[in-house]
Amino acid sequence: MNTPNIPTPLELPSTTVKPEWIDFNGHMNVAYYLLAFDQASETLDAFMGLSPEYRAQTKNGTFAGNINIAYRQEVKEGDPLRMTGQVIACDEKRVHYWLEMFHGTEGYLAATAEYMILHIDMSVRRVAPMAPDLVDWIRQVRDAHAVLGTPEGLGKVMKVPA
Amino acid sequence: MPDTVDIPAPLEMHTETVRPEWIDHNGHMNVAYYVLAFDEAAGALSSYLGIGQEYRNRSGNGTFVGDFHVHYIQEVMEGDPLRFSHRLVDCDEKRVHYWQEMYHAEKGYLAAEAETITLHIDMSARKVAPFPPEVQERITAVYEAHKHLPLPENLGRQIKVRRR
Repeated sequence: MNTPNIPTPLELPSTTVKPEWIDFNGHMNVAYYLLAFDQASETLDAFMGLSPEYRAQTKNGTFAGNINIAYRQEVKEGDPLRMTGQVIACDEKRVHYWLEMFHGTEGYLAATAEYMILHIDMSVRRVAPMAPDLVDWIRQVRDAHAVLGTPEGLGKVMKVPA
Repeated sequence: MPDTVDIPAPLEMHTETVRPEWIDHNGHMNVAYYVLAFDEAAGALSSYLGIGQEYRNRSGNGTFVGDFHVHYIQEVMEGDPLRFSHRLVDCDEKRVHYWQEMYHAEKGYLAAEAETITLHIDMSARKVAPFPPEVQERITAVYEAHKHLPLPENLGRQIKVRRR
């Protein structure tokens, strides 16, 4: 079987912390971590076949069902950010994936984001199954990413430590 | 023992309108701006707990969010009015764990839920530090007033594709 080249993890487009993303604490505000993640996630979506062209051709799309963000370290205005994506699981209606954000030059992990996205029939704006060949492809990506192991923090339950 | 009689459970604070710049290619509020709206609403909660802007300016302490989990339940569109409720789930000497709900203010439906742990920070060192006693007392009083509310169904929920 022909194994396509699947980067593990998938490198997502870099960005830079914009001045308007800074809050009164002098660091990137919680919401803009997610904006940066979400913009980068479009590249992962497209790699999985859920591209703007797919949306235009099929009238299907994706909505986020859940997003869990863990803030690990501050980033400041002008800091370069690099992000990676890893597919954790999928079924015919959902994809579960994991994103990491690093400081682009200092290298530290700034935040992680865990997503559950839902495949949507945009004509009725309801969850709908993906075509079988699309599910097969996303499963190949998942299987390739399995070599990365389980990310630290995946499935974390929020709790004040006892 | 602090008096908890006058503390509403849950707290209903903050309203908002979905701004045009919050809309994405799906024609609805983008995921990141739910977090922005919840975070701005949490500003009202912080003030109620005594850790808002006035406290930050006076004490040189502040708060950073450690974890933020969002459950997206129903879409909201440009111009939609939003209202928020807040309740404390837990707290200790350095952390507050709270739960927020976002509702469409006219249609009444639940649009999203957010679960957050916020950390008390010594801003001079930018490190986690204990609350001063009077702040701890206030937060505990609010927690005592809220702890009898039934736990939200999605509290502590993990993201998982169910195995069949």
